[in-house]
Amino acid sequence: MIRYLLKRVAQAVAVLLAIAATAFGLFYAAPSDPAQIACGPKCDSAQLAAVRTSMGLDQPVVSQFTDYVGGIVTGRTIADVDGTPIPCPAPCLGYSYTLHQPVLAAIEDRLPVTVSLAVGALAVILVLGVGSGLVAALRRGTATDRLLSGFNLLGASVQIYFLGYMLLLLLVYSTGLFDPPSYASFTAQPAQWALGLVLPWLVLGFVNAAVFARLTRSQMLETMHHGYVRTARAKGLGTVRVHLKYTARGAAGPLVQLLGLEVGALLGGAFITETVFGLGGVGKLAVDAVNGNDLPTVVGTVLLAAFFVVVFVALADLVVAWLDPRVRLA
Amino acid sequence: MAAVSMVDAFRRDRVGSLSLCVVAFFVLLAVTAPLIALLYGKNPTEHYGQNEPGLLSPEGLPVLPNGGISAQYWFGIEPGLGRDVLTQLLYGIRTSLLIAFASVAVVAVVGVVVGVTAGYLGGLADRTFTFVCNVLLAFPTLLLLLTLGPVIQTRFVGPDENEPAWMQFTVLVLVFSAFGWVPLAMVLRTLVRSLREREFVEAARALGASRRHIVFRELLPNVWAPVLVHITLAVPAIVTTEAALSFLGVGISEPIPDWGRMISRGSEVFYDDPTYMVFPGVSLLLFVLAFNLLGDAVRDALDPHTAR
Repeated sequence: MIRYLLKRVAQAVAVLLAIAATAFGLFYAAPSDPAQIACGPKCDSAQLAAVRTSMGLDQPVVSQFTDYVGGIVTGRTIADVDGTPIPCPAPCLGYSYTLHQPVLAAIEDRLPVTVSLAVGALAVILVLGVGSGLVAALRRGTATDRLLSGFNLLGASVQIYFLGYMLLLLLVYSTGLFDPPSYASFTAQPAQWALGLVLPWLVLGFVNAAVFARLTRSQMLETMHHGYVRTARAKGLGTVRVHLKYTARGAAGPLVQLLGLEVGALLGGAFITETVFGLGGVGKLAVDAVNGNDLPTVVGTVLLAAFFVVVFVALADLVVAWLDPRVRLA
Repeated sequence: MAAVSMVDAFRRDRVGSLSLCVVAFFVLLAVTAPLIALLYGKNPTEHYGQNEPGLLSPEGLPVLPNGGISAQYWFGIEPGLGRDVLTQLLYGIRTSLLIAFASVAVVAVVGVVVGVTAGYLGGLADRTFTFVCNVLLAFPTLLLLLTLGPVIQTRFVGPDENEPAWMQFTVLVLVFSAFGWVPLAMVLRTLVRSLREREFVEAARALGASRRHIVFRELLPNVWAPVLVHITLAVPAIVTTEAALSFLGVGISEPIPDWGRMISRGSEVFYDDPTYMVFPGVSLLLFVLAFNLLGDAVRDALDPHTAR
C-alpha cells in the first residue's frame, strides 16, 4: 500500500507540473502581449515597460516559469504597475494587475462560496444520483426504473443556463416560494446560508446526478451476477442486505473514481451556475478574468482547478485501492 | 456482430427510432433553412422590430404578449434588435451542427489514430499516452476553452480588424478537438490492448502479416462500434459546450445566429420577456435529448450485453 501511495503521489506531482507548464506557456508565451493586457488600454510606454519588468516579461520564458513555480513553493515579491512592491507569500499564484491583489488572495475571498456550492451540490448528487441508481438497479425493469431513467435523462440533457433561469422565474420571481439566491457565511448565519443556496444546489446537483445514476445502476447490475453475491444469497441473507453490503462494495470502484473527479471539478468553480445565480465564487472570478483579459488570475484559477482535480482523483484512486486489493497489488 | 442484425436491433428499439427521426428532422431543418426562410418570408439578420413601427415598445420590448408572437412572427421577435426568432433558431441549428460535426470528424480521426497506436504499441508510447491523457483530463476544460479562443484570436487578428466568420468556426473546432479526442482514445487503447492478445491477431502475425496489415485489416474493423457510440454522444456534448461558451460571452459573434448567444441575450431581458429565452432553451433541450437517446440506442444495438 505504501508503495502504491508513493507512486500515485509522484504521478500527481508530475501531472501538476505539466499542467502548470502548459497553462503558463499557453497564456504567457502566447503572442498576445500580457503586459499590454495587464496594463490596460490607457497605459503609456513607461508604465508598459514597468509592468513588463514587474511581470518578468523581459526574462526568457523558461526563467519566468521557474520564477513562477518558485513563487508557488517559497513565495516572492512582485511590483505593481506603479512599482509598489507587493509581498506574495507562498503559495504565490502571481499578482492580478486588474484586481490589484495577489491572485491567491482573490481566490481565498471567493473560495467559501464555491466550497459551499460544491458541498450542497454533492449531497444532491449522492442522494439523487447514487440513490436513484441503487433503487433503479434493485427494481430493474419496473415502472420505477423507467421513471427514474427518464428523470435522469432529462437531467443529462437540460442546461444549467436554461433550467436555472426558468426556476428563478417560476420559483423566485413569480411565486416567491424561494429566496433569491445569495451567499451568507455558514458560520455566522447557517440558516440564511442554506436558504440562499438551496436553488443553486438543486440545479447543479440535478444536472450532474444523471451520470452517477447511470453508472450506479449499471455497476450494480453487473456485480449482482458475480458468484460471491449469489453465494451470500444462497446462504439466506435478504436481498436488500446482500446488495447493500456485498454488491455495493464490489460496484463502488468506478463510482468512487467518478466522484473524485466530480468533487475536484466542483471545487474548481461552477462557472455557469455561479454566473446564472449571481454568486461570486471562484468560477465567476475566472469568467470575469477571461472576459477582462486578466491573465495572471486566469492562470491562477486554471492551476487551482487542476490542483483540485488531480488531488481528488488521486484520493479516489487510493480509496479504490483500499476497497479492492487487486488494484494495489497490480 | 453483423451489420444487418445491428440494424434490426435498432429498428426494434422504438425510442431509438423516434430519436433518430427527431435528429433527422433537426438536420433537415438545418439543411433547408434558407428554403424555409424564403417561404416564410423573413431572414435572420433584418431588424424587423426597428424598421416597422408598432412591433417594439420604446424600451425595446415586443409590444404583443408572449414575446411578440403573431401570425407574421410565429415565434416572436427579438427584444432590442427586433429580429425574427424563428429564422434565427433555424440558422442557429446550422451553426451548432457545423461546429459539432466538424469537431466530431477531427475527434474521431485523432482518437482512433492515437488510441489504436498507443494500445497496439504499448511500452513507452503507451506510458506517454497515459500521462498526456491524465494532464488533459485534469485541465478545467470549460475555462481553458473560454481562454483559448481570445488567445488564438489575438494571435491572428489585428486589434482593429473583425475576426472573419470562418476563423471563429475554425478556432472553436480546434479547441473542441484538442480535448475531445482523449476519452475516445482511452476507450480504444483499452480495447486494442485486449484485442491484440486475441487468437485472430496472433494468427495474422504467425502468417507473417505486416504491422500495417494487422492495424488496418485486423484491429480497425473491430473498433468501429465504440467509435460510433462515442461520436453520437459527442455531438450533443459539443453543441452544449459551444452554447455554454456563447452564454459566457466567448463564442460565435454577431451577426451569425447562435443558440447560446440567444440564451445569453434572453438572460439579460429575462424578467421582462421570458419567451425569448424559452425558444432556444427548449430547442436545445429537445436536440440534446434526442441525440442522447440516439446514442443510447446505438450503444444498445451494438452491444448485446448492455443491461437494460
